[in-house]
Amino acid sequence: MDRPTTPSRPPLRSVLLRSRKHTVLGVDPQHLIRWFFGGNASIAVIVLVLIMTFLLREGIDFLPTYRHELQTYRRAGLEFCDIIDQPLQQNQTLSSSLRQAVSASLETLSKSARDRRDAAFLLKRQIEDKTTQTSESLSQALEKTPPLPPEELAVLRSELQKAAAAAAASLTYTDLFSAAEREQLQREFAALTPEVTDLPPLLQTLAADFTAKDREARTKFASLVQAQEEFEAATEPLQEVVDELKQHAQETKENAVEFEVLETNRLRLLEAAAKEKDPVEKASLTKEAEASFTEAVNLAERIQAITSRATELREQVEKYALVIEKAAAVLPTDAGTGVARTMVNDVRAGIPVHAQAMRKAAAQLDSWRWDKPVSIFTVVGAFFFGTSWITNSSWQDFFGFVPLLSGSLVIAFIAILIATPVSVVAAIYTNQFASEREKELIKPVIEFIQAIPSVVLGFIGISLVGNLIKDVSEWSWLQWIPGFPIQERLNMFNAGCLLAFMAVPTMFSLSEDALNNVPRAYIDASDALGATKLQTVFRVIVPAGISGILSAILLGLGRVIGETMVVLLVAGNRIAIPDFSAGPGAIFQPAHTLTGIIAQELGEVSRGSSHWQALFMVGIVLFVISLLVNWCARAVARRFEPHKA
Amino acid sequence: MSPVSITENPFAGDNSGIQKRETIARWALRVGSYIVVFITVAIMLHIFIKGAPVTFQSKWPFVNTQFLTELPATLHVIEDKQGNHYETDVNGADAIKKKLGDNFRAEKTISYSGGGILGPIVGTALLVIVSVGVALFLGVACAIYLSEYAKHGKFLEMVRLAILNLAGVPSVVFGLFGLGAFVLTAPVFVDVPADRSVFAIPLGFTTLSFEGWDTCVLSGGFTLAFVILPVIITASEQCLQAVPQGFRETSMALGATRWQTIRYSVLPFATPGILTSSILGIARAAGETAPIMFTAALAFKDKLPWQKDLPPLPADASIFAHWEQSVSRFLGIFTESVQALPYHIYTLAAKIPQNEYAERAQYGSVFVFLVLVASLAASSVLLRKRLRAKYRW
Repeated sequence: MDRPTTPSRPPLRSVLLRSRKHTVLGVDPQHLIRWFFGGNASIAVIVLVLIMTFLLREGIDFLPTYRHELQTYRRAGLEFCDIIDQPLQQNQTLSSSLRQAVSASLETLSKSARDRRDAAFLLKRQIEDKTTQTSESLSQALEKTPPLPPEELAVLRSELQKAAAAAAASLTYTDLFSAAEREQLQREFAALTPEVTDLPPLLQTLAADFTAKDREARTKFASLVQAQEEFEAATEPLQEVVDELKQHAQETKENAVEFEVLETNRLRLLEAAAKEKDPVEKASLTKEAEASFTEAVNLAERIQAITSRATELREQVEKYALVIEKAAAVLPTDAGTGVARTMVNDVRAGIPVHAQAMRKAAAQLDSWRWDKPVSIFTVVGAFFFGTSWITNSSWQDFFGFVPLLSGSLVIAFIAILIATPVSVVAAIYTNQFASEREKELIKPVIEFIQAIPSVVLGFIGISLVGNLIKDVSEWSWLQWIPGFPIQERLNMFNAGCLLAFMAVPTMFSLSEDALNNVPRAYIDASDALGATKLQTVFRVIVPAGISGILSAILLGLGRVIGETMVVLLVAGNRIAIPDFSAGPGAIFQPAHTLTGIIAQELGEVSRGSSHWQALFMVGIVLFVISLLVNWCARAVARRFEPHKA
Repeated sequence: MSPVSITENPFAGDNSGIQKRETIARWALRVGSYIVVFITVAIMLHIFIKGAPVTFQSKWPFVNTQFLTELPATLHVIEDKQGNHYETDVNGADAIKKKLGDNFRAEKTISYSGGGILGPIVGTALLVIVSVGVALFLGVACAIYLSEYAKHGKFLEMVRLAILNLAGVPSVVFGLFGLGAFVLTAPVFVDVPADRSVFAIPLGFTTLSFEGWDTCVLSGGFTLAFVILPVIITASEQCLQAVPQGFRETSMALGATRWQTIRYSVLPFATPGILTSSILGIARAAGETAPIMFTAALAFKDKLPWQKDLPPLPADASIFAHWEQSVSRFLGIFTESVQALPYHIYTLAAKIPQNEYAERAQYGSVFVFLVLVASLAASSVLLRKRLRAKYRW
């Protein structure tokens, strides 16, 4: 088509706005200002990239380093020993529960005698504590040369007697003792002096009573005691062989590591010598390098010494398995108490499994090859699915991720489980039901929680919450709760409670925002249909705001997983996978976490070591988790978004 | 349905079930909300009851000046034979022991629990000043771009996403980042670059070497700055957005450039709000522990940062040498590692055995720390309220 040609006009805009523009290096200053601000805006992006870069820079070498370490572990034969040694650890668990069963059985007869003895000794110690000062001054006076005049000693003695009598009178005697015994105890305690080291007669009787009872109990449960002793003894020959091999492997490893250090040193010196121009310096460097030369460890030869004993090892394992299986067969069924009986039964069931595991391990010995290369996938697997995090060990360092991750996840789960109902309920109440005055109380208080530093909450966990939970767990009417009474003050549940408290403000404000954003028309429509307030809230408002609430929960989760100080102080810092076989009571066990391990160990390792790199790897994983959680929260918020009315 | 008797109101609702349920549910929700309030108040009261006696005293000047103005030290507790306990520091211990002579019975030492907490307070203050300075500069500039310049598009979306994600990064990861970036890599002017230097640019009279700032206030402050950056950006942007659009339009209509508009019509009205909101950032920076663990904090230090040990000058030293030493001492507030209150509390809570003396130091530090942080947060909230009343557009 033919266009009508428009007459060319002078550009109006430029004519009107023609002004004397300042330029800086030919650029409009307005643009410079704009770029300046734009550059600052991109700082957030840059920081994210930098975080990733620096984490990767320190951490990415972890995989090759760890691979090398695992290779040494295999080549030196440490892995070979661990094949047998690992399942053998089970023996200790079994024998310890057997030992507990034995002591529980023995207690049925000897408990009262033991309690009486222990109580009497405890009382004696209390008396001694109360009279320390006087008795100390008396004993010092007695030691003096020349000896003090008898009158002064007599004064001291009477003072001590007075103090002891007063202390003995002030004690509370348990009702384990009859009235006559109490009187006798009091008399004997009052007569305690530092010179007489013999026990007072009643205490001696009590101790003898206990010994007699204990002997009687041991004869009664003789078969059980014997079985336990036999079981413990069965491992000895096998353990001996394994220990011997372990020592050999350890030596090999140490030599290999030392050789490596010297070799790298030598190469570095040679390199420096090649660069050096001064002939004297060069000569001295070369000489130094030569001094650093050592014989490489002949791994093949040394490993031969270990693998050649595989047959012997297998025989020992077989012998051991037979012995313990026989022990399991003759394990008596009669134990003193119900608990002991279940324990014995558990051991009886556990022994064949253990024997089976030992046999399986022995069968693996044949297929083990010392020169099999360690693939990078094995290393990745060893990190992400490894079940032990062992550092500074004289045997071998392992960097397995699972114990830390499981601790973090269990704590986060507990925290979210507690925080979600509380914060959602609080959000619903303040948003829908509360009067203005209540709102002015609840909202600032909950928002104030955000300002409490996490280290303060961690301190509260140590000083207040830990004792509180422990005391509560000892109440007799709460004993039906699994895990009660708890062993450790600092545990996952404690940490979870505090983290829940920390997560409440985040989840509360975001949930409240979500409820606020529900379109007014929904509520009006519900009211118009005659719904009660409760119905409107739970059938209309909450479902409409569910996306916001879910994303609030997710963001709370992100906050909880990334929190450091509380878990570092309160979670108990035991690096082990929680024993989930204990049922829900497992939450009262101590654990370690991803964040806690970095904070605790990074200060003590040298830069560039595999441990350092492993900690940075954990940091990378944490960073990725936090990005993922954020992404999920956004996705959820978008996915369930209500249609805008 | 039973027939309704004439005397009753026929329009009255069914009182039996629904209303009872409503009341019960309402009360359940109310109790749920007040549990949180109750727990918060209980924790605060606990700290107040245990911590206030350490910080205050019944005599003039009512404040335990020793606790607030002395550096932390090892506490020595000496017991005599009458069971009296004397608390003293390392210098006083010998004198008391000599005085007691034969009467001396036992001595206990408790690390970090003696003296006061001046060192940690000063350290935290320095860290906060550096971090807030850096974060305000970057954050406000970023907010100005987001609020005044940015147009919808890829870049804006990316920036917003990055800010959101930055807010979610765990604080200990920031610590690792600070360690890698500032402690070990940041550029510094030196005469001879260290071995670990990533690369060095020779500048003739000196060398710009990327070998890091070591653990110091500057490293910790920069790390903390990035921790609080998202808080500052979000708060500043809100304040900028709150300035009515009309102000900008008026200014533009009068022929002002974009920058003049921002400078004269937007920033003056937004600044008070930005500053008040950034107090919240201060509270956050003061409270963080994990980022400064590897970048700035020390468990124990018996000097303030500007009391650096320097070799004594010869008697005939020039005035220039004296001046140089003073400057070097002054720069210590940036280049020295410090104690910080949160890290001090961590040390007291986790690294030393617990007893009554340690507990006193713990609760005292926690109380002072909490009062500082809480008063910052509270003042931020109050000031914001007053500002809102003042600028009502």
